Amino acid sequence: MRVYIAAFASLLAVVADGCGRPAAPAATPSRTSQLTGVWVAVGTFDDPAGPPPWQNTPWPANPPFTAWGEEQSRRLGDIKNVVPCQPGGPIFAMQDIGIFPIEILEAADRVVIKPENSALPRRIYIDGRPHPPDLEPSWMGHSIGRWEGDVLVVDTVGTSGRTRGMNGVGSNAKVSRDDSNPRLPVSDQLHLVERIRLVADGEMLEDEMTITDPKAYTRPLVLKHYWQRRPDIEVLEYYCGEKPRSSDEVVHAPAAGS
Amino acid sequence: MRAVLISLALVAVGAPLDAHHSFAAFDRSKEVTLTGVVREVQWNNPHTWIQVLVADGKGRQTEWGFECGSPNMMSRTGWKRTTLKEGDRVVVVGNPLKDGRPNALLVRITLPDGRVLGPGDAPAPKPLAKR
Repeated sequence: MRVYIAAFASLLAVVADGCGRPAAPAATPSRTSQLTGVWVAVGTFDDPAGPPPWQNTPWPANPPFTAWGEEQSRRLGDIKNVVPCQPGGPIFAMQDIGIFPIEILEAADRVVIKPENSALPRRIYIDGRPHPPDLEPSWMGHSIGRWEGDVLVVDTVGTSGRTRGMNGVGSNAKVSRDDSNPRLPVSDQLHLVERIRLVADGEMLEDEMTITDPKAYTRPLVLKHYWQRRPDIEVLEYYCGEKPRSSDEVVHAPAAGS
Repeated sequence: MRAVLISLALVAVGAPLDAHHSFAAFDRSKEVTLTGVVREVQWNNPHTWIQVLVADGKGRQTEWGFECGSPNMMSRTGWKRTTLKEGDRVVVVGNPLKDGRPNALLVRITLPDGRVLGPGDAPAPKPLAKR
């Protein structure tokens, strides 16, 4: 509602100015609009944690798998089972190593997160609605959020369990140092709670994820991932299915003189 | 035709990948350095490929494919669609396929004008304002 009021006030200001009367002062952004913008994850292929003090939590080398979770991790780690361009799910969307930015857009009743690497956005409803009682499973799940002071607490359920692992470089075309750790599956029993807040005077976004998935893990995983505000970077169009080429698809040179 | 330098160098790159995760087709513990001529740039999503003809000095040539990041990633780290054109002479460093066939993951490439570009990694972080 606050955003709509601000937009209406701006409109009035323009109209007033057009009538020769002094324009009202520009509306100052609300606290909750400060997530809006483009964010690039800290870390690189060779240094996935990134430099201190805002470092990504390393993915566990020995995750507390259930038997099902271990089996799924093996499946996801086998290149024969890689499905090119498969969506990654809500956790995969919030972890990266600097290569794919995300764009966050805040409205009065929702926060939308659009990762460059996915056609699928995350929609977080912050208007007080609950999760629907009869939820249709989806790749990104259903997210509701509420502000606790300066922290946006996001609760996600209803994932389909059909995504690639929550960690790692999805296409396997490039291997990060972190990819020596097991692939971490996500099931249809995922309950993800995120505490999202700004740190470093608003320059960094911290996403503390508590991942509870009793089908895959015997206890919750808690990880923090950091993103840097980058107004100098645009989220660009990306369609993974444009022309996928397998890493071992070799092209043979034309015969000399042809 | 002058002999083409082909060198294989063993380099240490972080923690070794264990057999459980040997899915990566490229051997990141090896680097191959090749000089050749660009035949084609496949500027596509999800990944760009640079096809380079490499002569062996004995009248035969091999076409190597170098896999890069997405055009988006590359454009954030100095690349343009028009950076390379057919016929450009380049020096390319890559992690080769484990099975020995002529594809590699691009590590860096030296352009005809001497500039060196990477495969489209993370853009350099912005310095944080003083806190």
